[in-house]
Amino acid sequence: MSAPDLVLEVDGLVVRYGDGPDVLDDLSFSMGPREIVGLIGASGAGKSTLLRAVQRLVEPTAGSVRLAGTELTTLGAGGLRDARRHMGMIFQEHALVDRLTVMENVLCGALGRTSFWRALRRTFDPVDVAHAFELLERMGLSGLEDRRCDELSGGQRQRVGIARALLQNPKLLLVDEPTASLDPAASARIMTLISELCVEGGLSALINLHDVPLARRFCPRILALHEGRIAFDGPPSELTDAVLTEVYGEEAVEAHVAVGRGAKDDHGD
Amino acid sequence: MLAAFYGVVAAWTVDVDGARIAEGAARAADFFGGWLRPDFMTRWADIREGLVESVAMTVVATAAGFLLSVPFGLGASKNLAPGPIYAACRGALAVFRAFHEILVAILFVAMFGFGGFAGVMTLGVATVGFLGKLLAEAVEEIDPGPLDALTAAGATWACRIMYGVLPQVMPRILGLTLYRLDINFRESAIIGLVGAGGIGATLITAFARYEFESVSAILILIISMLFGAELLSSRLRRRLL
Repeated sequence: MSAPDLVLEVDGLVVRYGDGPDVLDDLSFSMGPREIVGLIGASGAGKSTLLRAVQRLVEPTAGSVRLAGTELTTLGAGGLRDARRHMGMIFQEHALVDRLTVMENVLCGALGRTSFWRALRRTFDPVDVAHAFELLERMGLSGLEDRRCDELSGGQRQRVGIARALLQNPKLLLVDEPTASLDPAASARIMTLISELCVEGGLSALINLHDVPLARRFCPRILALHEGRIAFDGPPSELTDAVLTEVYGEEAVEAHVAVGRGAKDDHGD
Repeated sequence: MLAAFYGVVAAWTVDVDGARIAEGAARAADFFGGWLRPDFMTRWADIREGLVESVAMTVVATAAGFLLSVPFGLGASKNLAPGPIYAACRGALAVFRAFHEILVAILFVAMFGFGGFAGVMTLGVATVGFLGKLLAEAVEEIDPGPLDALTAAGATWACRIMYGVLPQVMPRILGLTLYRLDINFRESAIIGLVGAGGIGATLITAFARYEFESVSAILILIISMLFGAELLSSRLRRRLL
């Protein structure tokens, strides 16, 4: 892939808080269009920090981050706002405004291109409103537009967050632990939804997952972080136990492997 | 034990003048006689003017105070405002709250002359200080999640505040504003004593003239209005919050 095609290019990214150790240490990787990348690693390995650093919610200490060719680390406030509109972020804790309705929360995705006065009077662009209705229907949330977000279940709130991110018409989705508080069935449903949405919309996605089997199943490419560095970058088929041991440690791998093998045994022998 | 001993000694040192009390008792009987025969009619024009001015002062001061408290309150929030603005706003709010309303009223009467305007200024300043500080405290306790989400979506600063901050704090602030409305009405009765307009001026005049029947009428009206405001405010709360 030639450089202009790349959606995201991270080069030598370092994130350090004050005098502490490097949370991210010289990370380099790139993502092309329509790539779904699963980000795995132990807690504290720097996965959330990576997502936040790409958005500059956490300031990179050094290195470069380029979104579709635009250097993000040197942008001023206005430029950064524009760049962020092209990145949709889906948060682990949903990060919805509880007291507002589902529709108002989804329309927050369009705030980047709505003037203050229209936002104040809640008169959004009809194109955005129509898109919002479509997205809610795609998420299976039709009819809930006027409900307050604190009246919804966890899974429903998750989907409102996804709709909000998609309303931005982003090039890249940054997804932070979408399955953190969901049961296995719901987790699979959300991951299926995200995969389908990426294919439908031609988006790339960088998805932070703590569940390795889920990552293997849904992500054609896996990026494993270990202590702030990339320990593995490749297809799930090449993700060996040796790599997993390095990333997660012995006991965790045994547990994962046991689960994986158990599933195989059911279909195999 | 020591506290009890101190209590006895302290009581001993209080100057209790029996003769003065006896004299006062007679006068007290006079007052209370007046309470029992409230006279709304004789001074009705003055009473009505005073009440109307009090209500007007209260409403204007509370509304203007609420609007002005928003910029000061946001500016005094550590999680929103940059260093110098934070310091300036916190300082300003501290100054507004530093002095009791009576002292502030005296100051504004000296600056703007007797009447309602000084009263509005006094109550307005007190309202901004009260609501601004409480708003800042509420803002500092918000869930940062929604605000992060709006930042990540590329919303401007103003939109981030409007959607990410205000919905989280407005219910509490509206409740506090209703509370302040009540406080302002009571204050408006008092600051009239130093010439800042309102029913307080009418009250002190009646008192000075020993017209206890009128005093009684005025007090009954003030109490009824406060009860009425209390009922109105609970109803409003249920509707809005």
